[in-house]
Amino acid sequence: MALTDTTPAPLPRRSLSERLGNELRFVPVAVGLVALIAFFATQSDVFLTSRNLNNLLVQSTVTGIIALGLVFVLLTGEIDLSVAATSGIAAVLMAKLVVDVGLPIPLAIAAGVACGGLIGAASARWITLIGVPSFVVTLGVGLVLNGIQLLLLPSTGRYNLLNSGVEKLASTNVTGAPAWALVLGAIALFALLRLSTHRSRIAAGLPASATTGIVLPVAIVGALLVGMLLFLQTLRGLPMPVILFLGLLGAMSYIASETRFGTYLYAIGNNAEAARRAGIKVDRIKIAAFAIAGALAAFGGILSASRILGVSVSSGGGVGGGALLLEAIAAAVIGGVSLFGGRGMVVGALFGALIIATVSNGLNLMGVANEARLIVTGLLLVIAVSIDRAIEKLAVPGG
Amino acid sequence: MTQPILSLRGISKHFGGVRALTDVSLDLVPGQVTALVGDNGAGKSTLVKVMSGVHRPDTGQYLFEGREMHVTGPAAVAQMGVQTVYQDLALCDNLDAVQNLFLGREMTGPWWTGFRVSRAAAERRAREVLKRLRLESISLSRNVGAMSGGQRQNIAIARSILWEPKVVLLDEPTAALSHSAAAQVGDLVRELAAHGLAVLVISHDIHHFVLDNTDRIEVLRLGRNAASFASGTVTGEQVVNAMVGGNESINRAG
Ligand SMILES: Nc1ncnc2c1ncn2[C@@H]1O[C@H](COP(=O)(O)OP(=O)(O)OP(=O)(O)O)[C@@H](O)[C@H]1O
Ligand SMILES: [Mg+2]
Repeated sequence: MALTDTTPAPLPRRSLSERLGNELRFVPVAVGLVALIAFFATQSDVFLTSRNLNNLLVQSTVTGIIALGLVFVLLTGEIDLSVAATSGIAAVLMAKLVVDVGLPIPLAIAAGVACGGLIGAASARWITLIGVPSFVVTLGVGLVLNGIQLLLLPSTGRYNLLNSGVEKLASTNVTGAPAWALVLGAIALFALLRLSTHRSRIAAGLPASATTGIVLPVAIVGALLVGMLLFLQTLRGLPMPVILFLGLLGAMSYIASETRFGTYLYAIGNNAEAARRAGIKVDRIKIAAFAIAGALAAFGGILSASRILGVSVSSGGGVGGGALLLEAIAAAVIGGVSLFGGRGMVVGALFGALIIATVSNGLNLMGVANEARLIVTGLLLVIAVSIDRAIEKLAVPGG
Repeated sequence: MTQPILSLRGISKHFGGVRALTDVSLDLVPGQVTALVGDNGAGKSTLVKVMSGVHRPDTGQYLFEGREMHVTGPAAVAQMGVQTVYQDLALCDNLDAVQNLFLGREMTGPWWTGFRVSRAAAERRAREVLKRLRLESISLSRNVGAMSGGQRQNIAIARSILWEPKVVLLDEPTAALSHSAAAQVGDLVRELAAHGLAVLVISHDIHHFVLDNTDRIEVLRLGRNAASFASGTVTGEQVVNAMVGGNESINRAG
């Protein structure tokens, strides 16, 4: 029994451009980030100091966490324009529960995050039930949430969180042995994951390389994490927002690239009808993706409130989501996540958020005015998407 | 004759004002290859989608192993052991061959791994199936979007036989294949039937593929049963006449 011509074709080796379109998709944006850092280092003496890089990292976390959740929605080929508003209302809800109700902080945070998840799930239920485009529904939901946010705020328009305990979420720094334990633990976990993949390939009698499968990736991730720790130890240690962002990034990367749910996200984003015929419950997966986006947005908003010591009208980027919404979407897209679904990696949210924070921080140090910052960020977005598209065309002829 | 494993009785299906199927009946018998032929738009693909659970019929009965089924969707039909190669292949271009072969039926780790996909086990099984189909040249880790039409079609066919089904439905499986590759699909189809599967094939290649490889020919015209033949007893002209609505007396033959 045979189906093709029996010419013994050698296994086609995948070209670099094809791999850049897939598992190496983040490489161009990582190179871009390094180039930006190098540029700003030549422009400002302050840029490469540990104090400034500390600030830069912390700056990127709120956008990064919101973008992280948004990636899940974008992968399914949908969009959630209410993430910034969700982050705002969750922060206000958390603050209200702490200040007015006197709820313990962990419970208030959990309530805020759950509220975000519910908002995402409810929007997605509506989108899948009626079949309306997600950008319309979530645009509307965002405005509704903005309105509710105003109603939740006291007449002063602000909840102060100074000395409430909430500020510790953002201001805590982990140093010394606990910091090393965190970093080494993360590296060990990553190594274990690679090792288990390697061993199951050997067990199944498949070709496997310990060098490219384990040693190289673990060395790269390990060097980056240890390098970051050594650098930040010279100041105050690991800022809690950075720990939280990287922890979430690791968890979300695992979910998207290793689990069945992750595979379904990509499948739905490319061909929802094929996914349905394969027996995948498309609606449920989309609802889960929106719920994750909502929950992460809520957490990002709470983290932001903790950083700026309060919530107000402008929490969540202000009406319509403002710069926060645009930057979260830009971070995902600069990071190589396609707005048309099915393409991109979770780690793109990290690179995208870092690039946006680097541009903003670097231009600020150079004394460039705010309007120039917006122009540069906008141009970077267009350039990043264009490069991404060009690589995709190389990878998939006619694609 | 053995009992049919899958039977449709009086199936009708409309899309808005279009009556795609009207009172169609069909039997698929284990060990037999049935050809489903008809002009473009005759309703062949719609009938396959009714059988695979993609479309819910307006009226009619769906019998599987003699029992009436209330089909709830594609997953339920796959569960019964009915596999389908769709005309549009229903592949995800951004996934590789292994991921496509196992889509919707991934082997995974336990819940505490978050149902981690067992990639190695899947890849091993994929290699076996592709080897059985002499498709070793297909790269397992390449996105299927970057593959040729014939390779994609072969992956869709491989997917349909991966789980040892009882019934296989193939909607124009040879459309993108070279002459020799199409002949090999013909061999496969007959081998599946020899193993006791019930096979349904849609093809427009009446004179070669259909007459050479099938046991029965069911003709659809304008969404209705138009004729039914035993493949050995007809000529290609008779079948084509039945498809386009030629001589009525011939349509009743067989
Ligand atoms: N999802 C749909 N929505 C609306 N109309 C449809 C749909 N699917 C099929 N039809 C209509 O039903 C009729 C039968 O289509 P079908 O695809 O079953 O034909 P077919 O016999 O497979 O044709 P072909 O040989 O071209 O593949 C056509 O008139 C088609 O336009
Ligand atoms: Mg068809």
